[in-house]
Amino acid sequence: MKEIISVIRINKVNETKKALIDAGIPAFTATGRVMGRGKGQVHFDILKGAEAGHPEAIAQLGGAPRLVAKRILTIVVPDELCSMAIETIIKTNQTGNPGDGKIFVTPIVETIRVRTGEAGDEALN
Amino acid sequence: MLMIRTIVRPEKVHQVMQGLLEAGFPAVTKISVVGRGKQRGLRVGDVVYDEIPKEMLIVVVPDNDKDFVIRAIIENAKSSGEGKFGDGKIFISGVEEVYTISSGEKETEPLLATEKEA
Repeated sequence: MKEIISVIRINKVNETKKALIDAGIPAFTATGRVMGRGKGQVHFDILKGAEAGHPEAIAQLGGAPRLVAKRILTIVVPDELCSMAIETIIKTNQTGNPGDGKIFVTPIVETIRVRTGEAGDEALN
Repeated sequence: MLMIRTIVRPEKVHQVMQGLLEAGFPAVTKISVVGRGKQRGLRVGDVVYDEIPKEMLIVVVPDNDKDFVIRAIIENAKSSGEGKFGDGKIFISGVEEVYTISSGEKETEPLLATEKEA
């Protein structure tokens, strides 16, 4: 079993949910807004302004990157559905711009359905 | 790769994130959480507060950088030098794969390491 933790844009969550249902993975857990930052993007307008010597642009250089709001979608899938789920998430969320998000895949040791107590892959479908 | 989930005091978040940035790990996700620890929450007279607000920071790092990042977090998250109850916990788990959605590419460890230097 794999847990797929994806940090995605807020306005892509509905689209991703629909795409996952179409792909046969209806179950997910989502957080509310989370705040985060990536590897620290360069703002090219500010950089250009600083090179041209505008004091306001220079003053804005070197600060810590702003935190951006995202949502986290967590899904747990059997091993054989893992790559398909990742492809679906990438396809629906990809705009090609920085900030589309990240997907982390971690192993899950055991899943247990609370209602019946059954364990393993059966608990997932 | 490893996922480091750390629970810290809300008032320490800024300092910890600044420390991570200076250590070369800019990428962080932050979630507000509530929880209690082994002190069973805070007791004020007869009232028990067992849902204490904290912030959870999620960082994914290459295996080799684990100790370095943990040290950076602990240094910044400890309150008043010695450390107090409620300063938080750090949990580390394995991450098998990482994808960047914008490029659709699977990240590898050397790739993450060069980003750190840049």
